[in-house]
Amino acid sequence: MPPWPDRRRCAVWLSCCFLSVVHARALNELSAPQQVTLTGSPRTQQITVSWRGSHASTFDVIILRPELNQTVFYVTGLSANESGGRHEWKWTSAEPLECASLSVQIRSREGAATSEWSAAAVLPGNDVPAKAEFQFYPQDRVVAAGSSSTFCCVVAQGLRLGSIRYGSALQNATRLSRRSYGVTVTGQQPPPSGNWGTNVVCQDLQKSQLAGAVVFVGYPPLLSDFQCETEDLVSATCRWKKARDTRLYGKRRTRFTLNDRECAERQAVEVESCASQVWEGNWTLEAVNPLGRLVLSDGAEMEHRVRPPPPSEPSVEVDAWNATLRWSWEHAAYRSLALVCQVELGSGGNRTKRAFTGAGLRSARLRKLHPDEDYRVRVRCGAQRNFWKWGNWSRPLSFKTHMDVPDAPDVWMRIDHDNTGDVVWKPLTARQSHGELTSYQVTLRSPQDTAGRTESLGPRASALPLRPARTDGATRITATVVAENAAGASRPATVVIPLRGPDQTVVADNRADATERGFALVWPERADADADADCGYVLEWRDALCRRDCSVEWLRLAAGSTEATVASGHFQPGVKYNISLFSCSSEPLRRWHGYARELAPSGTVPHLSVSQQDSDAVLTWGVTPEAGRRGYVVGYNVYLANDSGLALLANLSGEGSRKYTVKALSKGTYKFTVKAYTLAGEDVGATASVTLQLFADWLILEILTSLGATALFLAIVTFLCYRKRKWVKGAFYPDIPQPKLNDDWSRTQAPLDVRPSPHHLVRVVEKPEMDSFKEVLVVIPEEDEEEEGEEEDGVTAACRRPTSLRRHGPMADERPDGPREPYSSDSSDSSVDSGQTDVTYTGIQTSGSSLLSPADGGRLPSQAPADGGGYRPQRRAAPPGEDRGDDGRRASPGGGGYKAQNAWRLDSPGEEEARPAPSPGSPGGVAEEEEEEEERPAPPSLGSPASVASTQFLLPDGEAEEPGREKRPLSVSAAGWLTNLLSSAKP
Amino acid sequence: MADRRSGLTGPPEHRRTTPARAVVIAELLHLESSNLLELYRKRETFIANVISGDSRLVSVPPPSSQLDTRDKLWRLQTALLQCRGLMERAIAKEDEELSTEMGEYKTLRKMVSDRLLYLVNTIGEVIKAMDGPALVTPSFNDSLEPDNLTVFEMKLWVFRVFIEVDYWAKTAETVLQALPKERVKPTRLRSTRSSHR
Repeated sequence: MPPWPDRRRCAVWLSCCFLSVVHARALNELSAPQQVTLTGSPRTQQITVSWRGSHASTFDVIILRPELNQTVFYVTGLSANESGGRHEWKWTSAEPLECASLSVQIRSREGAATSEWSAAAVLPGNDVPAKAEFQFYPQDRVVAAGSSSTFCCVVAQGLRLGSIRYGSALQNATRLSRRSYGVTVTGQQPPPSGNWGTNVVCQDLQKSQLAGAVVFVGYPPLLSDFQCETEDLVSATCRWKKARDTRLYGKRRTRFTLNDRECAERQAVEVESCASQVWEGNWTLEAVNPLGRLVLSDGAEMEHRVRPPPPSEPSVEVDAWNATLRWSWEHAAYRSLALVCQVELGSGGNRTKRAFTGAGLRSARLRKLHPDEDYRVRVRCGAQRNFWKWGNWSRPLSFKTHMDVPDAPDVWMRIDHDNTGDVVWKPLTARQSHGELTSYQVTLRSPQDTAGRTESLGPRASALPLRPARTDGATRITATVVAENAAGASRPATVVIPLRGPDQTVVADNRADATERGFALVWPERADADADADCGYVLEWRDALCRRDCSVEWLRLAAGSTEATVASGHFQPGVKYNISLFSCSSEPLRRWHGYARELAPSGTVPHLSVSQQDSDAVLTWGVTPEAGRRGYVVGYNVYLANDSGLALLANLSGEGSRKYTVKALSKGTYKFTVKAYTLAGEDVGATASVTLQLFADWLILEILTSLGATALFLAIVTFLCYRKRKWVKGAFYPDIPQPKLNDDWSRTQAPLDVRPSPHHLVRVVEKPEMDSFKEVLVVIPEEDEEEEGEEEDGVTAACRRPTSLRRHGPMADERPDGPREPYSSDSSDSSVDSGQTDVTYTGIQTSGSSLLSPADGGRLPSQAPADGGGYRPQRRAAPPGEDRGDDGRRASPGGGGYKAQNAWRLDSPGEEEARPAPSPGSPGGVAEEEEEEEERPAPPSLGSPASVASTQFLLPDGEAEEPGREKRPLSVSAAGWLTNLLSSAKP
Repeated sequence: MADRRSGLTGPPEHRRTTPARAVVIAELLHLESSNLLELYRKRETFIANVISGDSRLVSVPPPSSQLDTRDKLWRLQTALLQCRGLMERAIAKEDEELSTEMGEYKTLRKMVSDRLLYLVNTIGEVIKAMDGPALVTPSFNDSLEPDNLTVFEMKLWVFRVFIEVDYWAKTAETVLQALPKERVKPTRLRSTRSSHR
């Protein structure tokens, strides 16, 4: 590196060192501010700080509460105003300056260099020991709504703070000094009503002392509609409106100046107008209150702002139909000013305004008033040219117009069917009578008595009865009515009364439909209108159902009228009215009828009856009475009444539809309800019921049909069975193989020893009337014996034996000792007794013993025959030795005897059908038990034809018909019949 | 109104004696001053925490059993007259500071003031009937109403005035009712007054 750059670098370094030393010296030369003074303004809470002795351009300021060494404010680099060598700076404290002492220190600043702090200047607060009492600040403060305020409480020496409340709200206090506490309230609002100020109260802990202040919250002035006008055409009166209540009153109220002149006020109440002695053309209104100032201005030519004062000294001159109102003007200028005046005329509850114009107007003629009527009148005026505003109303005046003769009464007639009636007229209203009526004069004239006779009636009369004494038998009279009051008599009103009854002239009768406005009627113009061109028509209406002394209303129509709307406040809903149009000579021209408003019928349809016609129900009913219709009957609804209500069957339109047939009903009871209905609805309904009987012809037809069908069915079955007899026989009646006879059966057979089964008793019934093949053995259950023996004398003898048998049967054998009578003897006796009976062995059913399994042991009935022998016809012929020496007791070990029937199944159709239904105490019930006992061991095999045959023959038909015996089921007979049929068909 | 309520109108034979009338007026005054105090307490709720000290705004000679009836009445009249003056000042002060709209409070305030004056005059008539001086000259102690009161201080002062009026109304009722019977004839006024309450 060359040497010279090192030297330059060294020089720069030295320069820097020099400059830094110089700068340090300069810093050391910044002097602290001197003569710092503080000036406080408690009202504005502002401190003015001034100092001297520094050339610095900026300063640092720190404000402390010295007692607690709290920094209240600190600012750096402050530029302060300088004047005469003194710097001055203002600072506004959030807290009132009285709350606590403040100390201020200032130092000079030049960039980063600062001087020493000045000596502290202290603004003493009111918390100094010299002011030991309880204090509160600020006092009587006025603040804008929504703003915040800080209050402080200086507790008395020796006391401790208890509470600070703003109104009734407890506030959180912040300690400002040893004795001073501050609270800040935000969003202050004026009280809802009145404004006595909000109390802020501080109390010590012991509640021995309190201090407080009142703060007023309000708004700055806000006005509108500032306008100046003149009443006397010289001075000006300026008015305005308060757009907002400032909520500040008394000392804090808004004060007004007009063109810098203070507006006069009374009792410290805000004014809303201000007067000026002369018309200045331009005005400036200034409104000021503690929270603000508002300036409004206005300007105008006087001619454009004339508002006349109220007319003075009003008076009135009155006659019957008119009145004249007079008044005067206080200011002479109005005597020539073009004015428009408004007269308000009130009568009863009505008010009307009439306008009058003129220069210097001082009177108004009030026309078309009503006689004998009270009025109330007042007047106000305005400038006709450049109208600005109406002046105030004058003092009101009351007057009453004079009386006049009454209006002519509106006269009509009311004629009943017997040619009696009344002359009727509408009572004159107050507006028509023109004064209190004194009487009505009614004159009746007839063609025979043109002079007529006059009757005087009281002022409240409105009719004169047309008695025969008054009409003298005349068929046409003329009635003239005159109303009288104190002012005189009215014009006469006349009506021609034809005394022949109103219905004697036949006129068209049309239906009139009503609207909300009434009945709108139209009729053609009369061809002979010229004859009555000047007297018009009369529309009359009355209750159509009224027969005597009916009220009648009428309406007079001008000549040439062809339409009218009949409206009356007396129209009743649901009432039918007859409306008649008469000529002025009382000739009926046209007639209508109608309802002002229809209602649902009030009654029910009469004479509702219902009758049966085959399977139909025919309902008939009568016409709804006129009184109960309350509208035009449009039709009828027919309902079927059931548990769930009414079911509509039919809607019959038209009043004439008064019959209805309900078709194809089944047997039963039916209730029908019929309701007539109008446009307004249906009536409550009449109800009739009918009980439909079964149609007899149909019953016979049904019986015949079923009989025919049954016969046809049987014929078909018979035919089929006949055609298929081989199959049937093969299926149900296979041929029984002929027994093989080893012995010589040609010799006479010995009588068959029929011995009853030890378990089943077989009753041998001899039926002489039957052929030998029909003789059957009936199986009698043991348990039935006693009952049958008691009940049936005819079979007593037959039953006794089995009873004894049972007594000595296998059950009795179980007895341990005692002599036992062998069955054989009885059996033999029985056999002997029935020795003459020809028994076909194929008809004997195998006893249950043969079906029982050997597991039943010694109780098995099959063992009994082993001991006692029994009936064994199908046995193969034993060797002669064996057979002769055997009396039947030496049966085979297997039970011996007849076995072919063992193959019979109990579930064969014939057996099932033959089984009687069990019933308590019935023999069949016991028999069924026996059969069930037999079922268990029965092997599944196709039934034996011998079994079928034996079943049938054991139950002959004849016994079923015996009295006192249980009837056999029909199926049994049918089975027998079928069996016989099949038997006869056997080849 | 006062006459109507106290039953002072009507035929002469039904009019009461002056002392009896004074009793009725005192009773009415006591009732109205109590109502006024109650209204004020409702409006300025902080008053409930104010402890009324012994210092009185009205200064009269201390009561003594040595005083005869006329002196008692004179003392009472003096106190009531001072009360009337305090009421007038309180009304003026309140109107100046607050100037609220007319209402029950202002009506009652005016009624108490008027009733005070009426009672003072009536007691004067009673004293006059006893051959004494009819009227006393009111002497106010201006120090009782310091200038430059803040609104808060004014409210406290007005409260003290109402307390004072109520106290003296009650005292007047007691003193007048305790007048010798021969001077105050029994009347049916109490029941009449009760019906007006």
